[in-house]
Amino acid sequence: MEERRRQTGRRAFLMAGGFVAAGTAFGSLWAFMTGAGAGSSARKRARWIKVVDCPTLGEKTANYTRFSGNDMFALYRPLKTQRDGTGSFEAEQASKAKRVSAWIAEKKPGFSLPDIQLSEGAWTLMHSTKPGSGLLSWTRISVRTPAELGTPRHTAPPEEMASIVKSAARLYGAGLVGIAQMNEAYVNLQAPREDEKQKDKDIVFEDVDVPSVSDTKFVIPTKMKWVVAIAIPMDLDLLSRVPTSLGDAASALGYSHSAFVVSSLAEFIRGLGYEAIPCVNDTAQSVPFAVDAGIGELGRLNKLVTPEFGPSVRLCKVFTDLPMAYDKPVDFGLVKFCRNCKKCAEACPSRALSFDDEPSFKTMGPWNNPGHKAWFEDSYKCLQYWQKSNSACGICLVSCPYTKDNEAWIHEGVKATASIAPAADPVFRIMDNAFGYGKQHNPEQWWTNNSQSGRRG
Amino acid sequence: MTSGADFFTITIRRRTRWFWGLAGLWLLLEVLFVQTAVASVGEGEYRAATISWIVAGLLAAFACFAWLRRERPHKNRETSAQPQEASTTTPAGTSTAA
Repeated sequence: MEERRRQTGRRAFLMAGGFVAAGTAFGSLWAFMTGAGAGSSARKRARWIKVVDCPTLGEKTANYTRFSGNDMFALYRPLKTQRDGTGSFEAEQASKAKRVSAWIAEKKPGFSLPDIQLSEGAWTLMHSTKPGSGLLSWTRISVRTPAELGTPRHTAPPEEMASIVKSAARLYGAGLVGIAQMNEAYVNLQAPREDEKQKDKDIVFEDVDVPSVSDTKFVIPTKMKWVVAIAIPMDLDLLSRVPTSLGDAASALGYSHSAFVVSSLAEFIRGLGYEAIPCVNDTAQSVPFAVDAGIGELGRLNKLVTPEFGPSVRLCKVFTDLPMAYDKPVDFGLVKFCRNCKKCAEACPSRALSFDDEPSFKTMGPWNNPGHKAWFEDSYKCLQYWQKSNSACGICLVSCPYTKDNEAWIHEGVKATASIAPAADPVFRIMDNAFGYGKQHNPEQWWTNNSQSGRRG
Repeated sequence: MTSGADFFTITIRRRTRWFWGLAGLWLLLEVLFVQTAVASVGEGEYRAATISWIVAGLLAAFACFAWLRRERPHKNRETSAQPQEASTTTPAGTSTAA
């Protein structure tokens, strides 16, 4: 009897051990197959992200030309005046200012003084610079050139150069990096004015050796044929508190981080003996360059959606004459997913996003650059909600099912399955809602719950 | 296993491929949901964590129930072919069971 009990115990132990081993093997296999654990610094992307020759929403017509550069921030005031009458913009701003003061006084969650100043503090780096000067200088800031070091400039095969630049960008804080070919159609016609009294500054391509900035124009050398497109992931823990000032801090930090990354990378490239122009949102459209560089696809939000971080990224770029191997666009099933999902459009409080089943060439206003296929958004409605909510909103970014922290393997599994089996997309959309993803997290808890912020921002 | 006066009769039942397939699937789902439950807390997604724990618990309960009932013949299977069996008789205390 004693012997039998001992043998049974050994058998149970061996069986348990076998099951644990099998479980570990399954887990590892799952992670290997789907690319789980491929964090922001991983160089190889998951296998379900297919490289393609043309972007999934790459259809363009002859209308597609260089954009005016008038973004929604520049257009909002005249449009508001045109739609709601003279003085409506000023009245809106006055009422907003009054509301902010009242919310600070009553310590409204997400709008207390610490919440607002957290966002203001995060803007510091970005607000201390402007296109063409400071951190975003189009010429060398402080790096020693190869000539100063008594050496020729660095040369290597294009693939190796691309690898070097991507490694440097990742070190400086890039979440995703890709190399795209310069496309003049993506470059704005004009730089935004710093104030209304200033004249527009043209952005021109000229056959010169070095980029330059003058009182009248920004000059990009035509030899700059390479664009390093960069995505900076935003802090999801903060972003999940939108629409509040606390949530705005994630965007602000993303911008400041972008300024740091592109300026550091531009200096690195100059240090190798080449020219570089660092840009954040300025100078050119970041999204098409990022699509061409294979960082992500254009989604229903009319923003870039990356497979790793969803749309919760800030985009920036560096133009250069350093020869590198180009990357190709990617297809991870996003456009098919967006056709069914519409979660962002439903979540948008201003109904600014399209509910159309199919993307089209129909633009919604002068803020859209015509001539390409997309789900165009009504930026006027969007910005109007920004004024009402005293925040930069961002609900659409958080509600996207691709916006995940990627700690749970199941997210990778879902994304991988969606990329190969679009028939399962409606189920994933239902599951995303059922699991409670995309809902606002309590802003008050951020200060007290030993927040994990800083992992992605 | 039945015990006689001087010997045991050991029945070795070979599990079908269906059994192992189902066991593998169960294990995969169990690991996946437990990992999701733990990771969701780290992600700050408490509802997802709760649901994942519930699903993992249900899967574990189902496995316990199925394991406890494993020797019971299925109603519809009583008249159908039985799984492959092999019997051997050994002197008491010298079982050859794996």
